[in-house]
Amino acid sequence: MKKFGRILAGGLAALTGAALLAGCGSSQATTSTDKASASGSATTAAASSGKQVSLSFGIWDENQRDAMQQMVDAYEKENPNVSITIQLTPYKGGEYWTKLEASASGGTAPDVFWINVLHMDSYQQGGILADLTDDIKSSDISTSFPETLVNNFVRGGKNYAVPKDFDTNALWYNKDLFDQAGVAYPTDDMSYDDLVNLCKELKDKLPDGVYPFACPVDFQTWYYQTIYANGGYIISQDGKSTGYDDPKTQEGIQCWIDLINDGYSPSAQTLSETGADAMFEGQQIAMNFAGSYMVPEYAENDTIKDKINCVEIPTFNGKNDNTINGLGFAVYSKSKNLAEAKKFAIWLGSQEAQDIQGKTGVVISARNDAQKDFAAANSQYNLAAYTNHVDDAYPLPVCVNAAELYDAESKWITKAYTGEMSLADACKSLKEEADPLLK
Amino acid sequence: MHLLLSGSPVREGCIMKKAKRKVSARQKRDWGFAYLYIAPLVIGLLIFYIWPFIQNIWFSFNDVNKFNMTTFVGLENYRKLFQDQDVLKAFGNTLKYVVITVPVGLILSIILAALLNTKIRGKSIYRTLYFLPAITMSAAVAMVWKWMFNEQMGVLNSALKVLGLPTHNWLTDSGTALYVIMLVGLWMSIGYNMVILLAGMQGISPSYYEAAAIDGGGAFAQFFHITVPLLSPTIFFVVITSVISGFQVFDVVYMMIGTTNPAFDDTQTVVSLFYREAFSYGHKGYAAAISILIFAVIMLVTLIQFIGQKKWVNYDD
Repeated sequence: MKKFGRILAGGLAALTGAALLAGCGSSQATTSTDKASASGSATTAAASSGKQVSLSFGIWDENQRDAMQQMVDAYEKENPNVSITIQLTPYKGGEYWTKLEASASGGTAPDVFWINVLHMDSYQQGGILADLTDDIKSSDISTSFPETLVNNFVRGGKNYAVPKDFDTNALWYNKDLFDQAGVAYPTDDMSYDDLVNLCKELKDKLPDGVYPFACPVDFQTWYYQTIYANGGYIISQDGKSTGYDDPKTQEGIQCWIDLINDGYSPSAQTLSETGADAMFEGQQIAMNFAGSYMVPEYAENDTIKDKINCVEIPTFNGKNDNTINGLGFAVYSKSKNLAEAKKFAIWLGSQEAQDIQGKTGVVISARNDAQKDFAAANSQYNLAAYTNHVDDAYPLPVCVNAAELYDAESKWITKAYTGEMSLADACKSLKEEADPLLK
Repeated sequence: MHLLLSGSPVREGCIMKKAKRKVSARQKRDWGFAYLYIAPLVIGLLIFYIWPFIQNIWFSFNDVNKFNMTTFVGLENYRKLFQDQDVLKAFGNTLKYVVITVPVGLILSIILAALLNTKIRGKSIYRTLYFLPAITMSAAVAMVWKWMFNEQMGVLNSALKVLGLPTHNWLTDSGTALYVIMLVGLWMSIGYNMVILLAGMQGISPSYYEAAAIDGGGAFAQFFHITVPLLSPTIFFVVITSVISGFQVFDVVYMMIGTTNPAFDDTQTVVSLFYREAFSYGHKGYAAAISILIFAVIMLVTLIQFIGQKKWVNYDD
């Protein structure tokens, strides 16, 4: 009896140990994979063709899961020997990248995955991205996409990703607030000065606590547009120094600080806490800039969805100004099914795939002939404002230490927005901190 | 050897026992099972704590990029560490956090424990309520407090407005943001410390209090002359663990302060700096060096406390 007790206890100890190890092993693999759909299609594929290939597809946006699944389904139908599993890891808090970096170092990254411009350089230099130059050359991709977007993923003359979608910006306004104030709506052909005049006109006519506009510390949707339109720059042509000390760069930032100082926008403190989008959706501001990725959220907000519309970003210095940023489909260089993974990635840039994505209305498909799908999906708004001047739009500046550069930038520029120091001083300190990041 | 032999009688006794010890087959078997029983924990510790810790020390002498490609750089990371203004600033913020939250938290949790150690109605309900924050997910706690302190729609500013008092941007003013974080940290940790102190108080024999009462000692005299000295080992434990967790504060800061927050610089702690370097910027070697520095500082502070405790901690029963 005593012996039995010991054996039982020993067995239990071994079991606990195994459970501990197993628990750790499985936590990696179970992040929201579409097991059901994958196994479903696997059976049909095995029945119809010879060599069975399974691919994994890494994405981060829950809102786009449906669109991606539709694309996967269409591809699996045409290629019965391929089954594709979507792996969704949230972007928030860097989770997607942390997991991707760990799995890429361990040789288990998804075969095809989303990548953005911000992470492009470090991933390319890390040898994670497969060279897609020949595959893209033998497809229609280089002629069917905006050049800027294709070039976003070119390093050293080689292509490393197929453009997926892009986002640009537009000026949104709340018609109710304009009607109450008795002021005419904004139009597509405004300039920055017209915007300022509109703010001036609105200011005293809006209800208490409601601001005409919002100027958060936001590079992509606010000040990069005006910096570039003004002839300023963030990173020099040779990629060795930053342009924060250039007066033209500073003018492109100062124009937004002025609006805060004139009382047309809530303070930077307030906006850093509550966010311009939240305030626009809460009808606390009459006009707001918003990226195209915000459209699904605006369109689903019952409070404002019937009261709002958008127009093009006002011109600055006589130029159309907009920033363009986009995602791409990249292929993992150590994929076990590299050829199949590349084939799938190239197909994701086809008209068929890009139309499926565009028709969901969640993002603007990058492919020229599928861009219009976005406006068509939400025809109640003037969404052409997002796509009218894509050719003139400025891509985001990139470098290996992009994440650090953007953090340093927002840290110092925030000090100028809050009035803690002058913009010139903030930019001087910023340049001192940012220049070494480019080396 | 000389030192050992000249030690206390207890120590000599130990050595003698050791020399005499003979291991029987039965004892050996017992040991084998004992090791088997502790194996799950030990293996877990080795794999998930000790091995990464050793790796971390190695990383701190290397340049490690996002994809774990390492190049040996010697002391370069440490050289950079001692010139980095951000590190200095983060240690300053963390120190401020520790110096304020540890004493305040200790005093509040002793008071609460003493109150809940008396005969009042609904004692267990209060104990549960005070302990709840300790078992609530810190990310959720931080989100709720973030909303309460929100400048635009927070309950605090709304209350101030109703009372006709001026409102404030609590979380974006570098003068107040760190204090809000301290408040949330205190709110989460007091209940836990209270339960430990309460257990310590209940271990004090009632006869001391009876004797004191006979000698005419009032409630305050009893508290300071009986409760506090006899509780000192528990207090010491609470201080040690609070200082360590104070140096490691991260989750609340991370959840409540975004990168565009004007108070960002004045609220970053050493662990948030470590996190940013390792996971946002992919400088894992440098981040490893930061974590070694945090480890060294915590170890030093704890060591000083262990030396200092001889002066005030009372282990007599």
